[in-house]
Amino acid sequence: MLDIKNLHAGVDGKEILRGLNLSIKPGEMHAIMGRNGSGKSTLANVITGREDYKVTKGDILFASDSILDWSPETRSLAGIFMSFQYPVVIPGVNNTYFLKAALNAKRKHAGKKGLDAAGFLKLIKEKLNEVSMDPKYLQRAVNDGFSGGEKKRNEILQMLTLEPTLAILDETDSGLDIDALKIIADGVNRYRNADRSFLVITHYQRLLKYIEPDFVHVLIDGQIVKSGGKELALELEEKGYSWLES
Amino acid sequence: MNISDFNIEFDKMIKRDYFSDKVHPMRKKAFSKFLETGLPTKKWEDWRFTDLSSISKSNFRISEKQDAPKGDVDISQYQIDNVETIVIYNGHYLEALSSIPSGIKLLSGLDYLEKKDWGIKSPEDSPFDLLNTAFMDSGMSIVVDQNVIVEKPIRMLFISSGLESLMVTPRIHIDLGESSSATFIEHHGGDSSSFFQNGSTFVTLEQNAQLDHIRIQSNSVTTANIVNIQVEQNADSRYTFFQFADGSQLGRLNIYNELKGEGANCAINGLTLSNDSQHLDNHIITDHQVPHCSSSQNFKTVLQDNSSGVFNGRTIVRKDAQKTDSSQSNKNLLLSKSALVNSNPQLEIYADDVKCAHGSSTGALDKDALFYLRSRGLDVLSAKALLVRGFATELLDIVKHDETRDFITDRFDSWLSENTTA
Repeated sequence: MLDIKNLHAGVDGKEILRGLNLSIKPGEMHAIMGRNGSGKSTLANVITGREDYKVTKGDILFASDSILDWSPETRSLAGIFMSFQYPVVIPGVNNTYFLKAALNAKRKHAGKKGLDAAGFLKLIKEKLNEVSMDPKYLQRAVNDGFSGGEKKRNEILQMLTLEPTLAILDETDSGLDIDALKIIADGVNRYRNADRSFLVITHYQRLLKYIEPDFVHVLIDGQIVKSGGKELALELEEKGYSWLES
Repeated sequence: MNISDFNIEFDKMIKRDYFSDKVHPMRKKAFSKFLETGLPTKKWEDWRFTDLSSISKSNFRISEKQDAPKGDVDISQYQIDNVETIVIYNGHYLEALSSIPSGIKLLSGLDYLEKKDWGIKSPEDSPFDLLNTAFMDSGMSIVVDQNVIVEKPIRMLFISSGLESLMVTPRIHIDLGESSSATFIEHHGGDSSSFFQNGSTFVTLEQNAQLDHIRIQSNSVTTANIVNIQVEQNADSRYTFFQFADGSQLGRLNIYNELKGEGANCAINGLTLSNDSQHLDNHIITDHQVPHCSSSQNFKTVLQDNSSGVFNGRTIVRKDAQKTDSSQSNKNLLLSKSALVNSNPQLEIYADDVKCAHGSSTGALDKDALFYLRSRGLDVLSAKALLVRGFATELLDIVKHDETRDFITDRFDSWLSENTTA
């Protein structure tokens, strides 16, 4: 599904990822943990193609294709999705309009007909239910006036609607109360299946109680310094990160 | 046009046999004042950012009878359903294409002036107002009696067309009686290659009257469109103005709004789109003279290419105007690195118990928002268009009349599809 090979990347001329290797197979849930500034969000942004981030060395393969030259929208249409750490507020753009445009871009790419208003509404109502979101949020501008928890639910709603094969959850749990966290974790868990892979980025072990990872990786200074099973997250909670620093 | 060109045209104006000589004293007085002031220059504070050489260096002549259309005029491209339309073509009223609105009195300029006993005050220090009084040649006066609710919007469709360099000077008076209400649309269009329109509009709202005033400035991009709007508001009246401007090489909107009666409210709004070398300038003055009035100014501009724009908004709160509630906002979106905007929201407050807000921002499209939309699969052009649309939406939504809003929105969308670049 995703193969990251010796990835060096940075922003504003500053190298942040320094030779990162990671391989995610279909159906796997990987968690990346690390302190602030270790390069977690850079990794998410580089995979999704944010233009400010420059890859200086190495490669990212998605379903065996190198995606480094692909635009963000090409990556999205191919099945890569990121739940943003800080979802962007877009004043004046209606949430329904946005979701429908995104879904229909995806359907068109897959050679399917776009959904009309009625078809879309039926679909989105089911998805709203899954993240316990009030339909009133559809009528608002994208993330405008949403609380932190509502913004994150809106991200998961988009994931459920666009049906990516690789979902990157960038600090989706940060700042969420426990009820909102459970709702989001339930949404993610229901979405898991043998064809869909996840990369969960967090610096709190709490999330991993609700979303059980198959693999946990520790990112320090732009490199994965240790990988293990879900028990590694518990070990990190007990011991912190310093024992892994050279 | 230099002064001698104006003189030649003014002589022609005075000699016209089909204009009443009763208006001559008023014209002559205004014209002699204009000769003293001349056209504004960039040295004038209110004209610092606006170059009038497209007017001063061209040679316009007044529109004559032969400039009226010879045959049928196709106005289908200006079609807005569910409005009454009065068509004025190169300054000439086209009766056959016009429908007469019911519930109102429609007067010629002369009838109106006589009705008012020639007691019209018009600004004597503004060159374009003086020129308007000297050269007024078209337009209409709309009078609505008290308690009359005019349901259907009244539209004046000004078409400027042809290859001749014409100067057209419409004059509009709108008087709304107590507790009456109406919607008035000025719609400017046409394919003229060279045209100087200098309009003046005078609005008087009696107590509790309501006017929605919509201005669509979609002239061809080689024309000059100057307009002066003066609004006098009595107690509890409401005035809502919205201008959609995507046309004219040179555009200048002046609004002077006097809030003279307690409880009056005005909302002055504009959405301006410019490209190539268009220069569109908005000057708004809201004058709070009495307590308990509220006002807002909300202008947004989207600029492409080398186009430029000006927002100069002034809110004056006079000493007696306690409890004033006012806001000013100007936001500008630059789609090109060579576009330029001058934004100058100003507050002038002499009262001490008031609430006044103002703000201005100018920038390019939000990169984070663009990435967000693209990361959801929208291509660059769609994502950019969606962001610009989002920027403009709150202003498009001000237009309450559905058919008119749809017409403007269609124009907005087609501008957007021609002006969005990767």
